[in-house]
Amino acid sequence: MSKSFVLRAGERGHDVIYSDGSASSYVAGHPGSHISRESSFNFHQYQDGRPGFGTVRVFGDEVFNGAGCGYNMHPHHNFIICAFVLEGELTHINTAGRGMVDQLRQGDYYVFSAGSGGKHCELSISPENMNAIYLWLMPGQLYLPPSYHRAHFDIRTRRNRIVQLVGDADSALPVAQDLRVSRLVTDRAGRFTYTPRTPEHGVYVFVAEGGATVNGAVLARRDSMGITGAGALALDVPDSSDIFFVETAMLDDARIRAWEKAHGADLLD
Amino acid sequence: METPLTRWLCLGCGFSYDEALGLPEHGLPPGTRWADVPDDWVCPDCGTPKGQFEMVEMGYSEGGADLARIA
Repeated sequence: MSKSFVLRAGERGHDVIYSDGSASSYVAGHPGSHISRESSFNFHQYQDGRPGFGTVRVFGDEVFNGAGCGYNMHPHHNFIICAFVLEGELTHINTAGRGMVDQLRQGDYYVFSAGSGGKHCELSISPENMNAIYLWLMPGQLYLPPSYHRAHFDIRTRRNRIVQLVGDADSALPVAQDLRVSRLVTDRAGRFTYTPRTPEHGVYVFVAEGGATVNGAVLARRDSMGITGAGALALDVPDSSDIFFVETAMLDDARIRAWEKAHGADLLD
Repeated sequence: METPLTRWLCLGCGFSYDEALGLPEHGLPPGTRWADVPDDWVCPDCGTPKGQFEMVEMGYSEGGADLARIA
Protein backbone atom coordinates (compact mmCIF):
# COMPACT_ATOMS: atom_id res chain seq x y z
CA MET A 1 0.00 0.00 0.00
CA SER A 2 1.27 3.43 -0.90
CA LYS A 3 1.97 5.89 1.91
CA SER A 4 3.24 9.40 1.65
CA PHE A 5 3.79 12.75 3.30
CA VAL A 6 4.18 16.22 1.85
CA LEU A 7 6.53 18.72 3.47
CA ARG A 8 6.02 22.32 2.32
CA ALA A 9 9.03 24.61 1.96
CA GLY A 10 7.94 26.76 4.91
CA GLU A 11 7.33 23.79 7.20
CA ARG A 12 10.98 22.78 7.27
CA GLY A 13 13.10 23.42 10.34
CA HIS A 14 14.62 26.90 9.96
CA ASP A 15 17.68 28.22 11.68
CA VAL A 16 20.30 30.87 11.19
CA ILE A 17 23.72 30.39 12.76
CA TYR A 18 26.00 33.41 13.05
CA SER A 19 29.77 33.29 12.91
CA ASP A 20 30.11 35.32 16.10
CA GLY A 21 28.93 34.54 19.61
CA SER A 22 28.38 31.02 20.85
CA ALA A 23 28.77 29.35 17.44
CA SER A 24 31.99 31.18 16.52
CA SER A 25 34.17 28.08 16.75
CA TYR A 26 31.75 26.20 14.51
CA VAL A 27 30.80 28.79 11.88
CA ALA A 28 33.49 30.55 9.87
CA GLY A 29 33.46 34.12 8.60
CA HIS A 30 33.54 37.74 9.64
CA PRO A 31 30.96 38.98 12.15
CA GLY A 32 27.65 39.07 10.30
CA SER A 33 28.45 36.02 8.22
CA HIS A 34 25.83 33.40 8.78
CA ILE A 35 24.58 30.06 7.61
CA SER A 36 20.87 29.78 6.97
CA ARG A 37 19.56 26.26 6.97
CA GLU A 38 16.20 24.74 6.07
CA SER A 39 16.06 21.17 7.36
CA SER A 40 13.61 18.63 6.00
CA PHE A 41 14.80 16.08 8.55
CA ASN A 42 16.73 16.01 11.77
CA PHE A 43 19.50 18.47 12.35
CA HIS A 44 19.93 17.50 15.98
CA GLN A 45 18.71 20.24 18.31
CA TYR A 46 17.75 22.57 15.46
CA GLN A 47 14.80 20.69 14.03
CA ASP A 48 11.84 19.01 15.68
CA GLY A 49 10.06 17.58 12.62
CA ARG A 50 10.29 14.13 11.09
CA PRO A 51 13.64 12.74 12.28
CA GLY A 52 14.54 10.91 9.09
CA PHE A 53 13.43 8.92 6.09
CA GLY A 54 14.86 5.45 5.55
CA THR A 55 18.64 5.81 5.75
CA VAL A 56 18.45 9.63 5.45
CA ARG A 57 19.07 11.55 8.68
CA VAL A 58 19.67 15.05 7.34
CA PHE A 59 18.35 16.79 4.27
CA GLY A 60 19.50 20.39 4.57
CA ASP A 61 19.04 23.28 2.16
CA GLU A 62 21.82 25.60 3.26
CA VAL A 63 23.10 29.04 2.28
CA PHE A 64 26.52 30.33 3.34
CA ASN A 65 26.07 34.11 3.48
CA GLY A 66 29.10 36.35 3.15
CA ALA A 67 32.64 35.77 1.89
CA GLY A 68 34.51 33.36 4.15
CA CYS A 69 31.35 31.86 5.62
CA GLY A 70 31.09 28.13 6.25
CA TYR A 71 31.93 25.43 8.74
CA ASN A 72 35.34 25.40 10.39
CA MET A 73 37.29 22.13 10.50
CA HIS A 74 35.27 19.58 12.47
CA PRO A 75 35.23 15.79 12.91
CA HIS A 76 32.82 13.14 11.70
CA HIS A 77 32.49 9.40 12.00
CA ASN A 78 30.29 6.90 10.18
CA PHE A 79 27.87 9.26 8.44
CA ILE A 80 27.93 9.44 4.66
CA ILE A 81 27.67 13.14 3.84
CA CYS A 82 26.79 14.36 0.36
CA ALA A 83 26.62 17.93 -0.91
CA PHE A 84 25.10 19.13 -4.18
CA VAL A 85 26.08 22.69 -5.06
CA LEU A 86 23.22 24.70 -6.56
CA GLU A 87 24.76 28.19 -6.58
CA GLY A 88 28.04 29.81 -5.70
CA GLU A 89 31.25 27.97 -4.92
CA LEU A 90 32.08 25.57 -2.11
CA THR A 91 35.68 25.07 -1.01
CA HIS A 92 35.90 21.73 0.73
CA ILE A 93 38.98 20.70 2.70
CA ASN A 94 38.77 17.04 3.60
CA THR A 95 41.11 14.58 5.35
CA ALA A 96 39.81 11.38 3.68
CA GLY A 97 42.60 9.38 2.02
CA ARG A 98 45.64 11.63 1.70
CA GLY A 99 43.43 14.66 2.13
CA MET A 100 42.40 17.21 -0.48
CA VAL A 101 41.17 20.70 -1.16
CA ASP A 102 38.24 20.60 -3.53
CA GLN A 103 36.34 23.44 -5.13
CA LEU A 104 32.79 22.71 -6.16
CA ARG A 105 30.66 24.92 -8.35
CA GLN A 106 27.14 24.69 -9.75
CA GLY A 107 26.41 21.08 -10.69
CA ASP A 108 29.34 19.64 -8.71
CA TYR A 109 28.66 17.24 -5.88
CA TYR A 110 30.54 15.01 -3.47
CA VAL A 111 30.04 11.87 -1.39
CA PHE A 112 32.15 11.85 1.78
CA SER A 113 31.96 8.65 3.82
CA ALA A 114 33.43 9.54 7.23
CA GLY A 115 33.69 5.91 8.35
CA SER A 116 36.41 5.37 10.95
CA GLY A 117 36.95 9.12 11.21
CA GLY A 118 37.48 12.15 9.01
CA LYS A 119 37.59 15.91 9.36
CA HIS A 120 36.41 18.55 6.98
CA CYS A 121 36.00 22.25 6.55
CA GLU A 122 33.53 23.84 4.16
CA LEU A 123 33.79 27.45 3.07
CA SER A 124 32.34 29.90 0.59
CA ILE A 125 35.36 32.05 -0.22
CA SER A 126 33.98 33.91 -3.24
CA PRO A 127 31.84 37.04 -2.86
CA GLU A 128 28.66 35.20 -3.91
CA ASN A 129 26.57 33.26 -1.45
CA MET A 130 26.75 29.48 -1.71
CA ASN A 131 23.62 27.31 -1.76
CA ALA A 132 23.91 23.53 -1.46
CA ILE A 133 21.76 20.57 -0.58
CA TYR A 134 23.28 18.46 2.20
CA LEU A 135 22.38 14.84 2.68
CA TRP A 136 23.50 12.73 5.66
CA LEU A 137 23.04 8.99 5.42
CA MET A 138 23.36 6.14 7.85
CA PRO A 139 26.15 3.85 6.61
CA GLY A 140 25.74 0.12 6.01
CA GLN A 141 28.51 -0.64 8.51
CA LEU A 142 30.35 1.20 11.27
CA TYR A 143 33.95 2.35 10.84
CA LEU A 144 34.32 1.87 7.12
CA PRO A 145 37.54 3.20 5.57
CA PRO A 146 36.94 6.94 4.96
CA SER A 147 36.42 7.87 1.32
CA TYR A 148 35.75 10.92 -0.81
CA HIS A 149 34.34 10.99 -4.33
CA ARG A 150 33.20 13.92 -6.38
CA ALA A 151 31.62 14.47 -9.79
CA HIS A 152 29.88 17.01 -11.96
CA PHE A 153 26.30 17.03 -13.16
CA ASP A 154 26.34 18.81 -16.52
CA ILE A 155 23.09 20.72 -16.61
CA ARG A 156 23.52 21.67 -20.28
CA THR A 157 23.80 18.17 -21.70
CA ARG A 158 21.65 16.18 -19.32
CA ARG A 159 18.35 18.00 -19.45
CA ASN A 160 14.91 16.46 -19.58
CA ARG A 161 15.85 13.06 -18.22
CA ILE A 162 16.33 11.58 -14.78
CA VAL A 163 20.04 11.09 -14.16
CA GLN A 164 21.42 9.04 -11.30
CA LEU A 165 24.15 10.94 -9.43
CA VAL A 166 24.85 8.59 -6.52
CA GLY A 167 24.24 4.83 -6.47
CA ASP A 168 24.91 1.85 -8.68
CA ALA A 169 24.31 3.22 -12.20
CA ASP A 170 27.02 3.85 -14.79
CA SER A 171 29.13 6.84 -13.71
CA ALA A 172 27.17 7.39 -10.50
CA LEU A 173 29.29 7.99 -7.41
CA PRO A 174 29.44 4.84 -5.27
CA VAL A 175 27.87 4.72 -1.83
CA ALA A 176 28.05 2.01 0.84
CA GLN A 177 24.31 2.01 1.34
CA ASP A 178 21.12 0.84 -0.37
CA LEU A 179 20.50 4.28 -1.79
CA ARG A 180 20.29 6.26 -5.01
CA VAL A 181 20.22 10.00 -5.61
CA SER A 182 18.95 11.20 -8.98
CA ARG A 183 18.26 14.58 -10.50
CA LEU A 184 15.97 15.91 -13.20
CA VAL A 185 16.52 19.32 -14.79
CA THR A 186 13.96 20.40 -17.39
CA ASP A 187 13.76 23.17 -19.95
CA ARG A 188 10.43 22.00 -21.32
CA ALA A 189 7.33 20.63 -19.70
CA GLY A 190 6.98 16.87 -19.68
CA ARG A 191 5.81 13.70 -18.00
CA PHE A 192 8.42 11.54 -16.31
CA THR A 193 8.40 8.26 -14.45
CA TYR A 194 10.65 7.43 -11.51
CA THR A 195 10.82 3.72 -10.75
CA PRO A 196 12.51 2.64 -7.51
CA ARG A 197 14.37 -0.65 -7.30
CA THR A 198 11.45 -2.19 -5.38
CA PRO A 199 8.10 -0.85 -4.16
CA GLU A 200 9.45 -1.22 -0.61
CA HIS A 201 12.09 1.42 -1.25
CA GLY A 202 11.08 4.91 -0.19
CA VAL A 203 11.53 7.89 -2.48
CA TYR A 204 11.99 11.43 -1.20
CA VAL A 205 11.29 13.97 -3.95
CA PHE A 206 12.58 17.52 -3.44
CA VAL A 207 11.80 20.40 -5.82
CA ALA A 208 14.87 22.64 -5.90
CA GLU A 209 13.44 24.88 -8.64
CA GLY A 210 10.16 25.08 -10.54
CA GLY A 211 7.54 22.57 -9.52
CA ALA A 212 6.18 19.08 -10.00
CA THR A 213 2.98 17.11 -9.64
CA VAL A 214 3.94 13.74 -8.18
CA ASN A 215 1.25 11.02 -8.11
CA GLY A 216 -1.30 13.84 -7.94
CA ALA A 217 0.41 15.87 -5.20
CA VAL A 218 1.27 19.40 -6.33
CA LEU A 219 4.72 20.53 -5.17
CA ALA A 220 6.09 24.06 -5.51
CA ARG A 221 9.67 25.31 -5.20
CA ARG A 222 11.46 23.70 -2.22
CA ASP A 223 8.42 21.59 -1.33
CA SER A 224 9.08 17.90 -0.95
CA MET A 225 7.38 14.57 -0.54
CA GLY A 226 8.22 11.12 0.77
CA ILE A 227 6.53 8.05 -0.70
CA THR A 228 6.76 4.35 0.11
CA GLY A 229 5.04 1.36 -1.43
CA ALA A 230 4.02 3.23 -4.55
CA GLY A 231 6.06 1.50 -7.23
CA ALA A 232 6.63 3.85 -10.16
CA LEU A 233 6.04 7.57 -9.54
CA ALA A 234 4.33 9.63 -12.25
CA LEU A 235 5.59 13.19 -12.46
CA ASP A 236 4.26 16.12 -14.45
CA VAL A 237 6.98 18.72 -14.52
CA PRO A 238 6.83 22.24 -15.95
CA ASP A 239 9.77 23.76 -17.80
CA SER A 240 12.73 25.19 -15.85
CA SER A 241 12.44 22.74 -13.00
CA ASP A 242 15.15 21.06 -10.96
CA ILE A 243 14.13 18.01 -8.96
CA PHE A 244 16.07 15.66 -6.67
CA PHE A 245 15.07 12.06 -5.94
CA VAL A 246 16.50 10.21 -2.96
CA GLU A 247 15.63 6.53 -3.08
CA THR A 248 16.39 4.59 0.08
CA ALA A 249 15.85 1.31 1.86
CA MET A 250 13.27 1.91 4.59
CA LEU A 251 14.82 1.00 7.94
CA ASP A 252 12.51 0.07 10.78
CA ASP A 253 13.76 2.83 13.00
CA ALA A 254 12.46 3.27 16.56
CA ARG A 255 13.09 7.00 16.57
CA ILE A 256 11.19 7.65 13.34
CA ARG A 257 8.42 5.28 14.39
CA ALA A 258 8.00 7.12 17.72
CA TRP A 259 7.81 10.47 15.92
CA GLU A 260 5.21 9.16 13.48
CA LYS A 261 3.12 7.76 16.32
CA ALA A 262 3.23 11.08 18.17
CA HIS A 263 2.22 12.98 15.02
CA GLY A 264 -0.48 10.67 13.69
CA ALA A 265 1.61 9.74 10.65
CA ASP A 266 2.05 6.12 9.70
CA LEU A 267 4.52 5.90 6.87
CA LEU A 268 6.16 2.78 8.28
CA ASP A 269 3.22 0.86 9.77
CA MET B 1 18.52 -13.56 29.74
CA GLU B 2 20.83 -10.62 29.58
CA THR B 3 19.87 -7.79 27.26
CA PRO B 4 22.20 -7.67 24.25
CA LEU B 5 24.76 -4.89 24.20
CA THR B 6 23.77 -1.95 22.02
CA ARG B 7 25.45 0.65 19.82
CA TRP B 8 24.51 4.33 19.54
CA LEU B 9 25.25 6.96 16.91
CA CYS B 10 25.59 10.71 17.51
CA LEU B 11 23.21 12.56 15.18
CA GLY B 12 25.44 15.63 15.33
CA CYS B 13 28.59 14.08 13.89
CA GLY B 14 28.30 10.28 13.60
CA PHE B 15 30.48 9.37 16.60
CA SER B 16 29.46 5.92 17.84
CA TYR B 17 29.13 4.67 21.40
CA ASP B 18 29.39 0.93 21.82
CA GLU B 19 28.33 -0.50 25.20
CA ALA B 20 30.78 -3.37 24.77
CA LEU B 21 33.73 -1.00 24.31
CA GLY B 22 32.70 1.88 26.55
CA LEU B 23 34.93 4.96 26.43
CA PRO B 24 37.65 4.24 29.00
CA GLU B 25 39.48 7.49 28.30
CA HIS B 26 36.28 9.37 29.09
CA GLY B 27 35.55 7.45 32.30
CA LEU B 28 33.14 4.88 30.85
CA PRO B 29 34.56 1.36 31.26
CA PRO B 30 33.78 -1.39 28.72
CA GLY B 31 30.32 -2.80 29.35
CA THR B 32 28.82 0.51 30.49
CA ARG B 33 25.17 0.44 29.48
CA TRP B 34 23.78 3.44 27.62
CA ALA B 35 21.22 3.86 30.40
CA ASP B 36 24.09 4.23 32.87
CA VAL B 37 25.83 6.94 30.85
CA PRO B 38 25.04 10.20 32.74
CA ASP B 39 22.15 12.26 31.32
CA ASP B 40 24.37 15.33 31.09
CA TRP B 41 27.03 13.46 29.11
CA VAL B 42 27.71 14.92 25.66
CA CYS B 43 29.41 13.61 22.54
CA PRO B 44 33.20 13.85 23.13
CA ASP B 45 33.72 14.94 19.50
CA CYS B 46 31.00 17.53 18.94
CA GLY B 47 29.15 18.24 22.20
CA THR B 48 25.78 16.92 21.06
CA PRO B 49 23.65 15.92 24.08
CA LYS B 50 23.02 12.26 24.94
CA GLY B 51 19.35 12.52 23.92
CA GLN B 52 20.42 13.17 20.31
CA PHE B 53 22.01 9.74 19.87
CA GLU B 54 20.19 7.05 17.97
CA MET B 55 20.46 3.32 18.65
CA VAL B 56 21.77 1.49 15.58
CA GLU B 57 21.85 -2.18 14.69
CA MET B 58 24.97 -2.17 12.56
CA GLY B 59 28.06 -4.32 12.32
CA TYR B 60 31.62 -3.05 12.09
CA SER B 61 33.51 -3.13 8.86
CA GLU B 62 36.63 -5.32 8.84
CA GLY B 63 39.00 -4.07 11.53
CA GLY B 64 36.49 -1.38 12.53
CA ALA B 65 35.97 -2.58 16.09
CA ASP B 66 39.71 -2.24 16.79
CA LEU B 67 39.65 1.32 15.47
CA ALA B 68 36.55 2.10 17.54
CA ARG B 69 38.40 0.94 20.67
CA ILE B 70 40.96 3.72 20.22
CA ALA B 71 38.61 6.42 18.85
